[in-house]
Amino acid sequence: MNRLKLLSLSAIFIPFLSWGDIDVPCENDLECIEVGQWDLGIAFGYGERSNPLKDYSDIPIYLVPTFAYYGDSWFFDNGNIGYTLVEEEKYTLNLSTSFSTDSAYFQRWDPSNIFLAGSNKFEANSIAANGRTLLMSEEPKPDVGPLERRKFTYLGGLDAFIYTRAGILNLSLAHDMLNVHQGTEARAKWLYNLPVQNWNFEFALRLDWKSEEVVDYYYGVRKSESPYWNQAYQAKSALNVGIELTTHYVMTQHWDLIFLARYTQIADEIANSPLLDQDHTSTFYLGTSYRF
Amino acid sequence: MQITKFITRLLLLLSLFIVGSSQIFADEADELGAKLTVSPEFCITSGEQLTCDLKVLLEWKNQQPRAICILSDYENMAKWCAEDDKANSLSLNVSTTEDIQFVMIDKETHETLAGVKLKVTQTAEPKVRRRFRNPWSLF
Repeated sequence: MNRLKLLSLSAIFIPFLSWGDIDVPCENDLECIEVGQWDLGIAFGYGERSNPLKDYSDIPIYLVPTFAYYGDSWFFDNGNIGYTLVEEEKYTLNLSTSFSTDSAYFQRWDPSNIFLAGSNKFEANSIAANGRTLLMSEEPKPDVGPLERRKFTYLGGLDAFIYTRAGILNLSLAHDMLNVHQGTEARAKWLYNLPVQNWNFEFALRLDWKSEEVVDYYYGVRKSESPYWNQAYQAKSALNVGIELTTHYVMTQHWDLIFLARYTQIADEIANSPLLDQDHTSTFYLGTSYRF
Repeated sequence: MQITKFITRLLLLLSLFIVGSSQIFADEADELGAKLTVSPEFCITSGEQLTCDLKVLLEWKNQQPRAICILSDYENMAKWCAEDDKANSLSLNVSTTEDIQFVMIDKETHETLAGVKLKVTQTAEPKVRRRFRNPWSLF
């Protein structure tokens, strides 16, 4: 786990030690958008997002929409709203909102799961004790009872992009805007686009830091759920590490083939929660997309 | 004073109207032996630079020597008149987002002699900006 974090940190920051001429922006329509025009699209296919919560089903993916509108300064992108404070050739600074991705594991119709079809057990089931804990202890630990609701929230904060020859570095810091958990999240993400004829490969490495408030709200155990685990599991701030690959093949002006793969190594501070039985989550999707 | 201003504007509008019928006007200009040119003829704007800031050169030729005036719909230069019939050019700094129509008239008779237009054109490419999220970032 620590080696993966070190590797990710190195991969993100070492390329930026050697600055050079930046790439020409807008090499393809994935990186840029026409000002004042809606960009609408829908993807059809099949994929799955694994759910690290114990006794919660994985999330199948059939349809995925995309919708965005960018003005000169304001923008709306897949449910998030932003305002560009500064936009220069080598960097951009935005005020923007983002989703709380953790709530998606608990609720079927969370915005992060929008348009994902399937019959999932998103009811608050009884969650058995953490398997690893069972191995380390002779006495079985008590189960966690039905879970209280974990609400979705919007985060708001600063979002910076630094454009270099080695890719794009995205740094963000955002705080809970709806007073759900009053926590803070930070992200460092390195993106690299590789266009090859009709193909475009986007690689990304990401570090997602969540404050103790965020971890406690989603992965902590309430007294009503289990008095034992309420005391036994103490949430702490956590750093998840993820890698992403997004592949496009342009077939026609409107039709693309897309393949997406995501893998996130969940921080030990979260994985130790009795609500989880996996220390990772993964997503894949293969389909075709239509852009209007 | 007000009447003079009114007449000047009326003349300007009348001249611009006449210039609008370019072919007819060209024929008339040829008959009058007068020619007015502007350099450059086009200003192309692109990206965030939507205003044309440039120096234009107006040059004219008349078969018969005469003092002329230049009228335009550019607000910073509604009318300029040559002191004598020897002047044959005028340079002008302009800052505009729209076409500017120049008309040359006889200083004494106010007869319209010739016209020319500085055209401001935006590049055909739509304005684009960086997108901050992958279109399929809902996953």
